[in-house]
Amino acid sequence: MDRVGVRSEGVTETETLEEQTASQSTWARFEALYRSSLDDVFAYVATLLGDRSAAEDVTALAFERAYRRRVTFDRRRGDERAWVFGIARNAALDELRRRRRVATLVSDPQDTETASVHDGAEVALRRTAVKAALAGLPAREREIVALKFHAGLRNAEIAAVLGVSETAAGTLLHRTMEKLRKACDASL
Amino acid sequence: MRRFDESPLDPDAETTLAVIDATLGGEAVAPEDAELAELTLILAGQRPVASEPFAAALDERVQRRFARPPRRPRRRLRWRSVLAPGAAAGLVAGLAVVVVLSAGGGGSSSGVQMPTVTSSASALSGGVGRALRAESAPSSTSSAAGSSSATSPSPATSPSASGPSSAGGATAPTPPTGGRQVVQSAQLSLSTRPNRVDDVAQQVFDVVSVQDGVVENSNVTATNSSSGYAQFQLSVPSANLQQTMSALSRLRGASVVSRTDSSQDITGQVGGAGRRLADARALRTALLRKLAAATTTSDIDSLKAQIRDAEASIASDQSTLRSLHRKVDNTQIAVTINAASAPGHPAASGSGFTIGKAGHDAGRVLVIAAGVALIALAVLVPLSLLGAIGLWIAGAVRRRRREQVLDLV
Repeated sequence: MDRVGVRSEGVTETETLEEQTASQSTWARFEALYRSSLDDVFAYVATLLGDRSAAEDVTALAFERAYRRRVTFDRRRGDERAWVFGIARNAALDELRRRRRVATLVSDPQDTETASVHDGAEVALRRTAVKAALAGLPAREREIVALKFHAGLRNAEIAAVLGVSETAAGTLLHRTMEKLRKACDASL
Repeated sequence: MRRFDESPLDPDAETTLAVIDATLGGEAVAPEDAELAELTLILAGQRPVASEPFAAALDERVQRRFARPPRRPRRRLRWRSVLAPGAAAGLVAGLAVVVVLSAGGGGSSSGVQMPTVTSSASALSGGVGRALRAESAPSSTSSAAGSSSATSPSPATSPSASGPSSAGGATAPTPPTGGRQVVQSAQLSLSTRPNRVDDVAQQVFDVVSVQDGVVENSNVTATNSSSGYAQFQLSVPSANLQQTMSALSRLRGASVVSRTDSSQDITGQVGGAGRRLADARALRTALLRKLAAATTTSDIDSLKAQIRDAEASIASDQSTLRSLHRKVDNTQIAVTINAASAPGHPAASGSGFTIGKAGHDAGRVLVIAAGVALIALAVLVPLSLLGAIGLWIAGAVRRRRREQVLDLV
């Protein structure tokens, strides 16, 4: 299966996908949703859990649940992307509850864009500071960073996944970014 | 803060979001926002990427549509095989109960015709009991047999003995006489449409006339509502009782709601009156002989007075005896006609299977089914509401519990 190997572009790609799959069968719609969301869901879950292995399990579980429940999806209650992220979120929270431990990065995600030798030391230092600051955030704030920057969701989609208003989601993101900036400035 | 909180976004927050979206979209940002843009790019650059082996394995599972071993469907089938017969049995039992209950209660209030034939006999002497036990039945529905008395025709010789006696096909048991003096009575309750009370009442008069009976009193109140009512007290020759009851049970436009046949053995009373009469006559004869031989005035006066008393006694006993014989020879029938809101179906008063009866029964079944559905709805709607509220609360609690972990890690 050819997957969309890059992060989806949010609203544009989702809407196009919906238009294209409006007349397709449930299976075809699910397959398209899977192809467009796999990387984003994994990125979100991995950031939230801080554990690549667990993130893989949870991601697989989330898509299996989505497949089993695909007939219950109601388009009037939101788009499919927010729906599958909601399922992934529940699965991830269940995993966190099961483990009952701080979701520290047990094994750091393989960063494909690790600092090259051409990057300056200041850039590398900055990246390290950001990573540390992110790891130090409470789970709620780390989650919104994952949804925004790693899963590429729009603010409305984030609000739908978290079950809050779009304003609340925007405010939470703003506060989280302020925290991160201060943490980074403090560490540098 | 929940979804319904739609207060406007703080201007600083709005700016932050705009810069983030612009940076992620590859657009240029103002110099004063460069730090935020850099942070955005670093965060985006730290996005975890799924490994190729994992992606390939999950692709394969998706292609197989997350196929599972066939254990689970078997379990589902087992549950179905356990639940389906139970549910079906419960449904059938419930329907049976409803049908039985509705059939039992429908006779008095609607057009369901369930004739009730009740026969009661009260013996005043032990002979009747012996007769009831000893004598064989001449027909399938009657236990009466034996000789007939001089004053009362035997039911065995009555033309009605072989005829049907009720609209519903039920034949009323004929009380055993066996030469005994039996007073019979009957009560018949009919149901008809409100606008047919008059017509049915007229038919009652006609039947009584044909059967040489008498309408002792009647009361007919005809209205177009369900309050229409008619009541008759009839007296018909006992010999014609069965024909009369049969005819009354077949009146056009009416159906039998209930029928009661009663009998009372008065052989002892008749015998007692007869003995008293014979004694009085013997006394009078003896007194008359004494009178013929009397010589004194006082004896003659005394004997004449005793003879008058004896004759009075004779007259009284004769009157009693005639009255008893009248009771035996004529049967009292109480007929009531009630206008039912659900009209009595003419077809229901006939015997055998007809299209009309089938249609009537089908209509009743539909009405009962609708009633059952209504009752089920009345039970299910509140239960569903409670269930929905419960599910909503459970969902909210589950969500809250899930999210609590975000505050712990």
